Amino acid sequence: MPSSPPVIADFSVLPVSIPPLPSFPKSVVHYLYVRRNTPKIPTPTDARSLFLTNVPVDSSDAHLRALFASLVGAGRFQSVSFEDERKEAQSQSPLDAAQPVSAVRLLQAHGSASKKRKREDEEAERAREEAAARLPSTWTRPLRRSGCTAVVLLADEKSVDQVLKAIAKLHRTKMYPTWGENLPEGKVPPLGSIWLKAHNRLSYPDRDALQASVDAFSELFARREQEAAEIAKRLRNEPDEDGFVTVTRGGRNAPASRNEAEEAKRKMVEKQEKKKEELINFYRFQLRERKKAEQAELLKRFDEDRKKLSAMREKRGKFVPEA
Amino acid sequence: MDSAPAKRRKLDHGHDGAKMALETASSTGISRSRAFVLEAEELLDTVRLDYETAFDGADGFLHRIKGSIEAIKPHEPLPVAEAVSKLEKKHKIIVPFPDPPPPENCNYKFSFAKPTCFNVVGSYVSKTMTKTQKAHGIDMVLVLPEEILQEKDYLDLRYFYKRAYYLAVVAATLRKDFANEGQLSFEYLNGNSLCPVLNFQPKISRGSEKPGDKSALDYRIRIIPCAPDGFFPKAKLSLKASLVRKARETNENATQPTPFYNSTLAAESCFLSYLKVLRQAEKKCAAFKNACILGRIWLQQRGFGGGICEGGFGHFEWAVLLALLLQGGESKTQVALSPSLSSTQLFKAVTQFLSVTDFAKKPCILGPGKAEAQLCTEAGPILYDSARRLNIAFKMGSWSAALLHQHAKWTRSLLSDSAIDQFSPTFILKADLPSHTFDLVARLNCGASEDVAAELDSFGSRGRIWKLSSTVYRILRRALADEELGERARLIHIQTPSSPAWPLTERSKSQEGSTLQIGVLFDPVNMARTVDRGPSAGPSAEEKEKCEKFRRFWGDRAELRRFERDTIRETLIWASTTPFDLCEEIMRYILNLHLRIGQSQSDISFHGSGLPALLSLKPADTALFNVARKAFGTFERDIRDLDDLPLRVRQIAPICAELRYSSVKPPAFGSSKSGPRPMECIISFEASGKWPESLVAIQRTKIAFLLMIGSLLEKSKPGEVRTHVGLEDSKFETENLAFLDVVYEAGPSFRLRIHSDLEETLLERQVKDKTSEQYLRQRATTLLAAFRRLYTNLPLHNQYLTTSATRFPALGPTIRLVKHWFNAHMLSCHFTAEFIELAVLHVFLSPYPWDAPSSASTGFTRTLLFLARWDWRSEPLIVDTGGNMPAAERASIETRLEAWRKIDPNMNHTVLVVATAQEPSGVAWTATDGQPKPSKVVAARMTSLAKSASRLIREEGVGLDCRRLFVPSLKDYDALIHLHSKALRSTLKTYATVDIEEAESTGRSKFKNLDERTGQEPLPLAQHPAELFLKRLGAAYSGPLVFFHGAADDSTIGAIWNPLMQRRSFRINLPTSYKPVVGQKRSKEDEQESGNAEDEDLVDVNKEAILAEIARIGADLIDRIEVKGT
Repeated sequence: MPSSPPVIADFSVLPVSIPPLPSFPKSVVHYLYVRRNTPKIPTPTDARSLFLTNVPVDSSDAHLRALFASLVGAGRFQSVSFEDERKEAQSQSPLDAAQPVSAVRLLQAHGSASKKRKREDEEAERAREEAAARLPSTWTRPLRRSGCTAVVLLADEKSVDQVLKAIAKLHRTKMYPTWGENLPEGKVPPLGSIWLKAHNRLSYPDRDALQASVDAFSELFARREQEAAEIAKRLRNEPDEDGFVTVTRGGRNAPASRNEAEEAKRKMVEKQEKKKEELINFYRFQLRERKKAEQAELLKRFDEDRKKLSAMREKRGKFVPEA
Repeated sequence: MDSAPAKRRKLDHGHDGAKMALETASSTGISRSRAFVLEAEELLDTVRLDYETAFDGADGFLHRIKGSIEAIKPHEPLPVAEAVSKLEKKHKIIVPFPDPPPPENCNYKFSFAKPTCFNVVGSYVSKTMTKTQKAHGIDMVLVLPEEILQEKDYLDLRYFYKRAYYLAVVAATLRKDFANEGQLSFEYLNGNSLCPVLNFQPKISRGSEKPGDKSALDYRIRIIPCAPDGFFPKAKLSLKASLVRKARETNENATQPTPFYNSTLAAESCFLSYLKVLRQAEKKCAAFKNACILGRIWLQQRGFGGGICEGGFGHFEWAVLLALLLQGGESKTQVALSPSLSSTQLFKAVTQFLSVTDFAKKPCILGPGKAEAQLCTEAGPILYDSARRLNIAFKMGSWSAALLHQHAKWTRSLLSDSAIDQFSPTFILKADLPSHTFDLVARLNCGASEDVAAELDSFGSRGRIWKLSSTVYRILRRALADEELGERARLIHIQTPSSPAWPLTERSKSQEGSTLQIGVLFDPVNMARTVDRGPSAGPSAEEKEKCEKFRRFWGDRAELRRFERDTIRETLIWASTTPFDLCEEIMRYILNLHLRIGQSQSDISFHGSGLPALLSLKPADTALFNVARKAFGTFERDIRDLDDLPLRVRQIAPICAELRYSSVKPPAFGSSKSGPRPMECIISFEASGKWPESLVAIQRTKIAFLLMIGSLLEKSKPGEVRTHVGLEDSKFETENLAFLDVVYEAGPSFRLRIHSDLEETLLERQVKDKTSEQYLRQRATTLLAAFRRLYTNLPLHNQYLTTSATRFPALGPTIRLVKHWFNAHMLSCHFTAEFIELAVLHVFLSPYPWDAPSSASTGFTRTLLFLARWDWRSEPLIVDTGGNMPAAERASIETRLEAWRKIDPNMNHTVLVVATAQEPSGVAWTATDGQPKPSKVVAARMTSLAKSASRLIREEGVGLDCRRLFVPSLKDYDALIHLHSKALRSTLKTYATVDIEEAESTGRSKFKNLDERTGQEPLPLAQHPAELFLKRLGAAYSGPLVFFHGAADDSTIGAIWNPLMQRRSFRINLPTSYKPVVGQKRSKEDEQESGNAEDEDLVDVNKEAILAEIARIGADLIDRIEVKGT
């Protein structure tokens, strides 16, 4: 087995041997790159977490747990979060999405006001509601993007050093850990045909569960809408720190819905156009100008044709009859 | 009165103004026809030959040939036998007598004297040759001296015998004088076996002298003896005269007219007079020459030429026709063309003339003089030049005249369609291939029908093969293109074998063993008819006679049948079902009945059904598609009948290939092998203000709606319908989340998605919202495109495709074949089905230079031709579905493409542009999720595959084994993933309650008698597992690998490494799995001074680890992964 450098940039290279499969009977080595986690925005757990890049596409919590167990023994590994999961968590909270457009705006503008009132139990309540409104997942096991990154949280700071040491030792002993070894029985859903079949089954969730999720969502949505309305009401005529009053919906006269406004605008434009049209060709000079414009257009087109022709000429073979 | 100032103003314009005015005047036509003129001029410039270099030394040769012929010693008349044997003994030259050779005991003698005059005729003098024509010949005529001829030589081939002897003597001398400078051979003038000519091919030693000089051509000089002008009395050579009388002894009624012989003889003495006609026309009309060149190219691209086997209408005939049209006739209908017309106008005029005069049916007389009453059409098409009393079209068969007429018609309709590119179908595209033109091609073995032909052989005309072909043509026309029965064939064409040149010392090769090629162009509706209704069997004498005729022609097949309204008719019943088989059955039957051809299998073979057979396309398939559409109708009614829906249904529209006659496999219900595969539809409701103003909420509301529709349906049709709400494999909460699958117990199943118009408004708003973040707007754009594709474009697409499929019966089968081709080459995962359908539809809607294809095979070959020729880098594909797209819209689509290419020259975002009137943006079918589909690389691969397929079709001709077009070249892929077909099949069926993992891991459920699958219906397929698998792979490896896959159940996936992913320096966000470069570091350490520190951290794509990952993902699905080079 060829030796690989123990360190690349500031990453330790963690080679993992991949056992052969009947469909690809070759044992190969996959390389993960590991270093201490130093994100741009520090978090309290940075000291006891590791940053991994190039994790295999079929990585799961169990896989990495087994890998770290083989390096430094069981009990050190706490959890892992993958790159795509972190992204999802940011963008995919159905709660955010559930809020009506106007409410989102208001909350953005006055985010601080609502945040202050948050309490612990309220947050927990929110999480529960969110979970209820979320649609069931259709996959038993996600796939990572090739070359994906992950952050592994370990038990304590000491473990981090131990892991890095263990990795360095690997390069001397050449006893690479094996991927997918010592996985807990039945904890990791299999891939392949079973995976696909499970997906098809999960794509058709139980009707009642689905109904319940939809109901939970609409309840949530209705409440958010109401909250937004309340905030809007409260904010009406209330200057912010710069002394500006935000103009919001629901003044003395209820505003028209946006759709109606658009419709009205369209009608107005139509009316204007009609009026304009009636005046076309009304005066003699208009006729004359139109004719002039037409002639100019013709000339322009002629020029264009010639240009096109010369472009075609540049491309050889356009003018040679095919043999 | 006040007009004076206006006039003065006009005068003031000066030169510039005048020029501009002129230009404007010349360009008042529509844009396309102007472009056509410009392009034609460009074409003329391109093909024009530089005579100086091209025919370097030709004049010298001509002079020397003249000299050496003049130097031949005349000799006294010798008896035939003696003269012939002398030549044979002394020079080993066989006199190229026409068949049959002169009788031994004839009483005339052969002599030789100096020709009265030499002349060079043809396109060499008029300088109308082009670079692209097949062979460049210089025609030199020798006018035979009158003293060696007698006036009665016009009888019984005597003139031709003398001419052949004369030619042999000339050949003997020339061979002596020019032995080292070129090659001499005999050939027939235009394939006319009466007129052998001498062919001199100078050796191409010039090539070695001037290497790289490509302008010098491989020309040849033809030496043509001819009769002196006016030597034979023209009146005796009329078409009805019988001039070959030898046969009288053997055959009683031998006073048959010999029109071909007569016309050949008349043509023999017209060389010089036609030369004069053409020179006059050149002088009179400046554009004459150019019009002739255009005509030559037009004819050549359609496979026409002067030779008999090429249709007998070549450049010469075109030029003469044009010259005669410029002269005009006396009658009112023949107004002369104006000599001031331009070359393109003249060209258009001639095609116009050819498209309106069907001279195969009615003789056409050109020029002054009264029509000769005795013109008969039985002998073939007649285009009579009354001034020179010659039928110009004497070399044409009725079939080639019909084909010419048809081509002219097609070209005329092309030239009248101002919106599209007229130029390249007219002049550039080669349209001579039978497999592109004809729906059925039969090959008749002439040798096999020897005895038949011998019987038919009429003495001394154009030979046996010609006679055979015209008989076959007559019979087939009556059988297939009978107007009373309804024309099954729009065109029947016969390709006769050509006669090659032969060496001086041999006899001309007879055409024994050669084949006739019969092409038939179907009328798809009539050709599918299985019952022919002949004349009604009535008591009147007229009816009886008709029936008798019908019976005589059709033989035992004709039977009497009673039809509705008590009519009794002669009837023919055919057993086959497809148009092709019907045509084959009829042809076999009728040729066997009348000519006894086809008794052995090898006599006649039929080509053209190979392609449909590949997919086993059957006419019954249409019925299956209709069943699917009917089932859809039921489904729609069931939904509309639901009472308790909160909104009224506005429309339910189908959006899948099964419901527009274009899926590769016809829709089949209740297959036991897989769960139901629902056919997709969309449902839209009346406008409502109740939709929430939030995308996410709209999607959830849709789910609630679907749940409601599902339970209502199940309630209204208990036991008949099962419904399942399924979740989409969606990424965002703002896209469509769910669909409803409705499975009927009877088999059909449908997938319903809900259209909410508010969604579009909200998305549009998001796209336009300048305050939101860029990535959100980008996402909204993608979602909006997907929304429009699904809910706006697809229903429309389905609609016009269904309409077109009814309009063109061959459209559906063609689409299915083309899709199969994309599948076979593992391209279909990169193309939307709609794109393929539109490409085929384009071939049907603007089929130029042909008519819309009338069978799947022609449709398929022409689609390949189109794909091969389509320059998608600079041309959009504009499919004019309505047939009335304004030119301005086309122009704007073209402009848009140009703009795209300017912004995005590497084609990362837009590759193919396929626009229709309904979807002018042109990217609805060629981009998904913001990515081009196909990408540039794949599009280029499609083009190159189509090119090589088209080349194969051209090279192999009709005998091509069609399966070869569908063999994928697997060696191009870096890795091949072979799927386990059994495991793949097992994924097609899933059940709602079985816990799969358990069932699979333990082998079977714990209690056999409690197997929950019994009596349970399988769940529908949300997506085909193979496609799903590929999609997941594609998402995981979008960087390093490009996957190729064909049909869903195809078990091979090809993969190619992205060449952009290669060795690079390490960074945190790697696009794929990389491994450290081994050994690189150490070597770098040695030369540490020069080495940059960052260079050391090089990494390489870990290809094997990636493949191992794929193997793990696939697990039992993958049989093996094959890597290139191992």
